[in-house]
Amino acid sequence: MLETVAQAVVNGLLIGGIYALVSIGVTLIFGVVKIVNFAQGEFVMLGMYISFFLATQFGIDPIASLVVSMPVLFVAGVLIQHFLIRRVLGLDDMPQIFLTFALSLLLINLALMLFTANYRTIHTWYSDESLHFGGINVPMAKLIAFVLAMVLSGALWVFLHTTDLGKAMRASAQNREVAMLMGINPNRVFCIALGVALALAGAAGSLLMPFYPVYPMVGQIFVLMAFVAVVLGTLGNVIGALVASLMMGVAESLGIQFVGADSGLIVVFLMLLLTLAFRPNGLAGGRARQ
Amino acid sequence: MILGLRTRNVAWLGVAVVILLALPLVVRNSFAINIFIRILLFAFIGVAWNLMGGYAKQLSLGHAAYFGLGAYTSTLLQIDFGISPWIGMFAGGVVAMLASLPIGALCFRLRGPYFAIATIATAQVLMLIFLKFRDFAWGAEGTTIPNLGNAPLMMQFDAKAAYYYIALGLLALGLAITYLIERSWMGYYLVAIGEDEDAAEAIGVNAPRVKRDIYMISSFLTALAGTFYVQFIYFIDPNIAFNFSVSIEAALVSIVGGIGTLWGPVIGTVLLETTSALLQRWLGSSFVGVQLTVYSLILMAVILWRPTGLIGVLTDACARITRRAPARV
Amino acid sequence: MAEALVIRNLSKRFGGLRAVQDVSFSVNENETVALIGPNGAGKTTSFNLITGFHRPDEGSVVAFGREIVGLRPHDICAYGLARTFQVARPFGRMTVLDNVMTGAFLRDKNPDTAREKAREAIEFVGLSAREKTPARDLTTIDQRRLEMARALATQPRLLLLDEVMAGLNPSEIDQAVALVGKLSTRGLTIVIVEHVMRAIMSVARHIVVLDHGQKIAEGSPKEVVANEDVIRAYLGSSYAHVPVLDET
Repeated sequence: MLETVAQAVVNGLLIGGIYALVSIGVTLIFGVVKIVNFAQGEFVMLGMYISFFLATQFGIDPIASLVVSMPVLFVAGVLIQHFLIRRVLGLDDMPQIFLTFALSLLLINLALMLFTANYRTIHTWYSDESLHFGGINVPMAKLIAFVLAMVLSGALWVFLHTTDLGKAMRASAQNREVAMLMGINPNRVFCIALGVALALAGAAGSLLMPFYPVYPMVGQIFVLMAFVAVVLGTLGNVIGALVASLMMGVAESLGIQFVGADSGLIVVFLMLLLTLAFRPNGLAGGRARQ
Repeated sequence: MILGLRTRNVAWLGVAVVILLALPLVVRNSFAINIFIRILLFAFIGVAWNLMGGYAKQLSLGHAAYFGLGAYTSTLLQIDFGISPWIGMFAGGVVAMLASLPIGALCFRLRGPYFAIATIATAQVLMLIFLKFRDFAWGAEGTTIPNLGNAPLMMQFDAKAAYYYIALGLLALGLAITYLIERSWMGYYLVAIGEDEDAAEAIGVNAPRVKRDIYMISSFLTALAGTFYVQFIYFIDPNIAFNFSVSIEAALVSIVGGIGTLWGPVIGTVLLETTSALLQRWLGSSFVGVQLTVYSLILMAVILWRPTGLIGVLTDACARITRRAPARV
Repeated sequence: MAEALVIRNLSKRFGGLRAVQDVSFSVNENETVALIGPNGAGKTTSFNLITGFHRPDEGSVVAFGREIVGLRPHDICAYGLARTFQVARPFGRMTVLDNVMTGAFLRDKNPDTAREKAREAIEFVGLSAREKTPARDLTTIDQRRLEMARALATQPRLLLLDEVMAGLNPSEIDQAVALVGKLSTRGLTIVIVEHVMRAIMSVARHIVVLDHGQKIAEGSPKEVVANEDVIRAYLGSSYAHVPVLDET
């Protein structure tokens, strides 16, 4: 019994690492640009398709394709901020929500038109390999994904806390007006934030490819997880998003193990419910005001 | 002035009503009538959404939950108990209203985008529940409703025109309710909440209660549309009933047409559904994905260029035309 | 004289910051009290605590004999306490008239009656000419007038004004002072947060001074101005012993 639980926990942590990459991106965008990127999952999907095509056309390993997917998505992020998001920044909720929502719809349906709804998978030499620790089975592809996800998250943390640009981003997140007074160009900061967030999403996609199928709607599952993790981890808090994502991965995994195969969404919903009921400001946010 | 409307506007409205009533008698093409029915129905769903999402800016993307609840309630009552869908429609509305209470209590704790996400989740959860539980509602396969031929009392008709008139009636109901609310204290309160909920509370607006009430009205009306849809296509399954695209279109037609206005949803529906019908005509089977691609492009265009919706463009155009006409008292 | 507002031991922290600490004061009916203090003293927070936007950690707020801590803002407004915001928050999409009508609907749900009452409030603040203007197109000062009209439309017994005079030129200040005076004549109890000394002196007989969340002085304008702690709070300790000229 303990072994089953341990296995489920390990499985959960491994996938939680991927959720973390997606949710960190969402929370970064929310913290810095102050909008919710509904299309984040679609950039995961894009990363997956990029790696898929590089693998099937050129035989490039998905992990290696990170050097393609991440920069491509970084540029995409910069462009999207500069040409689209910037135009709705002064406006109220509705345009901001529905712009990224429309982007999400657009990307999904373009993918549907271009790639059809078929599930695509690839097979690498490590797709079926597993490592064994005691009685615990650790699939190699997932382990690699987890490790790299943690490395990227760590790199982001270092970036945010040691580089000038990263500090500029954090400053803008805390107080945009003062940051501007300090000479920080908001649009530049936002472009970088979008670029980084989308690059992380793309990385998540590439890391997923060895063990997960790609299809147009695949991003939706990950983005839902990510959103709940962001709320749970406190909006704008990168470490919170990371921790919450791991928690959600574990919760989902335990749910699948002990409740049923498609209990994932129920778990998500329950965690959202619990968060709203007891800690609406998230784990790091303290008790809700009034 | 009649009922608070300027006589000229009432005249225009009268003309429009006559045209709408006469339309199915003049146009015989089945495909065209289908489009008209779709336009009327989705305009009605849009109007129902608009009460909450347009005026009060509670941007729900989960209205399919109520569409589905309405559809399933009337179907269950019909198939299991032989109750007429006319009654089932009303019952569906009540079920939806009651469902909106706990859903609202939960979702209203969040603001803005997170509210939208929570509503999406609720519709998805309902779909999952209906997919899994075959015992009370046929599970993933869904069910057809028995074809009774021409049975007006069971909301089934041979003549397509009958469905047209029902849909027209629903839309008229929705518009009437919106019009009455708009002019009453509730209309003001809704807009105030949509603009600045805290400032509204500071001047005595009981925001939680107003949001709860408008959610009940909105969900009730959406459920009516659900029942109609089942009766129209003679089939229901969780994927159709709780389909995300219903939620999307409910919001989209208002945003594109004119969020928070009386006629916005109607204008938006006419544009989107006509575009959709044309696309279907031209592309036929390779239609998958194209419709929503076009919708999303239209949505982006509206947001980037005219976030208040196309109704502004139309009223400006009308104003320019009428200014050229000689002044009349 | 009856007490309109009795505040006792009001306290509120936000994380590590003690925004309001153990503040107590009373306001008599029909009195105009000024709440002053340097920036960050806790004045707006006090307003938020009184009107129900935040819940105090400790303390009580009794308005017209009734404890109102724990009530929601709309209930407090219905009970007779209205407030304006430091930065005006008009309903931008609506016209001036519609904005004020929204306030008037609290007392009467009939649109025609509400419109009438709204027009009265609009006239009182001098915005009649702008009745049909969308609120977002108003100047900042007119938006402040709108805030006041909207609050007045709820027919309050106690009005909390948050820095309504900031950024006004001298003649505008005089107009605003006159307005506040008129309100007082009508029987309203007023608590006004202000930085403009001239206005405070003309309007209030009773002043409460906050600094770093605590009450440091209370009394008549003359008393407060001469108070060492007050001088220190505003100007720094080097000024604490400068004698203040006695102005009669």
